[in-house]
Amino acid sequence: MANPMLEIIRGLIYGNVLPIGRLSPSARVFATLMGKRGDIVPFLSPQIHDHAMTVAKVPARKYYFDAGLLVDTQTAVERWYGFDAPMITTDNYNFEIEALGAKMVYSDYGMPAVDTNQPLIKERADLDKLGELDPSKGRISVGVEIARLSAKKGLGVFANGLFCSPFSFICLATGYPKAVRALRKDQAYARELFDFAENKAIFPYLKAQARAGVKQSIGADAWAAFPNLTPEMVDEWVVPSALRLKERGKKELKMNVMAGTAAADYCEEDPAKFNKEIMFKCWAVTRKLLPMDMTMTIMGRTQDWNMEWVQEFAVKNGKWGRKLPIYASLNGRFVRDSTPQQIVDKIREWINIMGRDGRLLFFIGNVPADAPPVNVHTALQAVHKLGHYPISKDLSAITIEPHKFTPFDEWLKGQPEADTIFKAREKK
Amino acid sequence: MSEDLYKAISKAVMEGEDGEATRRVNEALKAGLPPIEVMHRGIVAGISKAGELWKANEYFLPDVIMAADAFKAAMAIIKPRLEEGEGVRKSKKVVMGVVQGDVHDLGKSLVIAMLTSAGFEVIDLGIDVPLQKFIDAAREHQPHILGLGAYMTTTMLEMKGIIAELEKQGLRRKLKVMVGGVPTSQEFADQVGADAWGKDALDAMQKALRL
Repeated sequence: MANPMLEIIRGLIYGNVLPIGRLSPSARVFATLMGKRGDIVPFLSPQIHDHAMTVAKVPARKYYFDAGLLVDTQTAVERWYGFDAPMITTDNYNFEIEALGAKMVYSDYGMPAVDTNQPLIKERADLDKLGELDPSKGRISVGVEIARLSAKKGLGVFANGLFCSPFSFICLATGYPKAVRALRKDQAYARELFDFAENKAIFPYLKAQARAGVKQSIGADAWAAFPNLTPEMVDEWVVPSALRLKERGKKELKMNVMAGTAAADYCEEDPAKFNKEIMFKCWAVTRKLLPMDMTMTIMGRTQDWNMEWVQEFAVKNGKWGRKLPIYASLNGRFVRDSTPQQIVDKIREWINIMGRDGRLLFFIGNVPADAPPVNVHTALQAVHKLGHYPISKDLSAITIEPHKFTPFDEWLKGQPEADTIFKAREKK
Repeated sequence: MSEDLYKAISKAVMEGEDGEATRRVNEALKAGLPPIEVMHRGIVAGISKAGELWKANEYFLPDVIMAADAFKAAMAIIKPRLEEGEGVRKSKKVVMGVVQGDVHDLGKSLVIAMLTSAGFEVIDLGIDVPLQKFIDAAREHQPHILGLGAYMTTTMLEMKGIIAELEKQGLRRKLKVMVGGVPTSQEFADQVGADAWGKDALDAMQKALRL
């Protein structure tokens, strides 16, 4: 990325004063978030770590243990697709718990996973036995290096450290049912669990990131999505915990710590149960956890939603005559299982409903490992073509053919990441 | 008196009050109520009601977890009594496991709780189950249904191999295969040649009853 400050200023000017010319991908994102709109509806990089690994054909046992390989692979795959804003992710949930000694399962095909059948915290007394996270253990140094390299590779304001948010950590450490039991029936124990997660597990990891120069860190919290937790439970437990971490990070580390990402994300799977009132409650709670005010969707079954509801919420809660920006996420399974034409139709429908007045950003909630690349390429092409401002009066008149693309291996030759990726494929 | 006790058990299970549920079940057994009635009119009625509330958006996953806890606690008391006496007629046998490389247990546990409540006999193969173990279990137990669970987009691909191997070994004809887990979908189930996809525990139970 060029000078991030200039990109922000360019986006601000375009979005608020002078919408002339063509924007760079990142300025396009800033114009959409901080102004009325950019030149084109932007498409942000999704959570793509497993998919990138599969596309680049690098082995999981190297990829998840080598920060350089992981960052290079994702950077290359994201550039191959042409996303507007880069993002590097990994198995964010595992680092703290692995370093504390949880039993992990490592696989040849996918990311490491915590063996929740042998929980790290079986009972209250285990909290005292565990002690504080030692940053020299597990893959903490890999996590720190991923954050450092993301910044070094020029991700600008999109560079950040990653960590596991407290409620998700508790779920992985005790098992989800026990975590929920504690919240519902033993609140003193629940408070002890949150205290341990925040101060003994997560904060030492954040401290290690800060020492490496990381300025902001984002904590994933998918375990706190709806209906795992109700919006009321997120408000009672997850929001105050995120605020405590934010405060401590600011005070002691001069770091912007954002816990609770994906908490209260509306993930009801059954279309028959979709409920506007509950969705609105979820989005209202989510707003308390975001670094900037917006309507955020991440992992839900959005392909079956009535997107008029999302638009209504964004308009209703906007300020100064502008709706809230909408972070509209295509469901990862929808992207995997649909035909390119079905994806184009969905994007056309969404831009028609939510894109005409600007402030719309596209995203994919976790691209599955086996999603066909043609589907992702076609989604990008459709958003950029149909989302060209001013939006066409008749979007149905614009046809999008399945995208013809250069195969990844062919494209990779001559790219700066080629050596790292090709070498990683060699058996050693 | 008996009607009040059945209602109290049902309410305790539905509300996830495991202590109250076990206390009431003990009380019912002490009062001489038939264990099979205690199970159906009390315990199963309670978990079914919780399922209905889940469907109606009045219960959420934490409520279902609490109800499943109370259900399990109450069933632990009633089960030995059922085995001693009248017994419970199992309608269908299900073998279930989470595929190799995947250690996520929650979804499977919820499905097993639901299937048990509906009268199925469930053989739980656990998590991280290798292909061969599914094949051996299908041969040994001859279940009506084989349930395959996966939580990750990488591990779900194992399901296709398992179903293909069942075909190859001539075990597929009399066996219904159900798949489920967060990354799966009806489209995926169709692709891998499964007979049904359970989108959640309740849906899995309802589809299992229809297979």
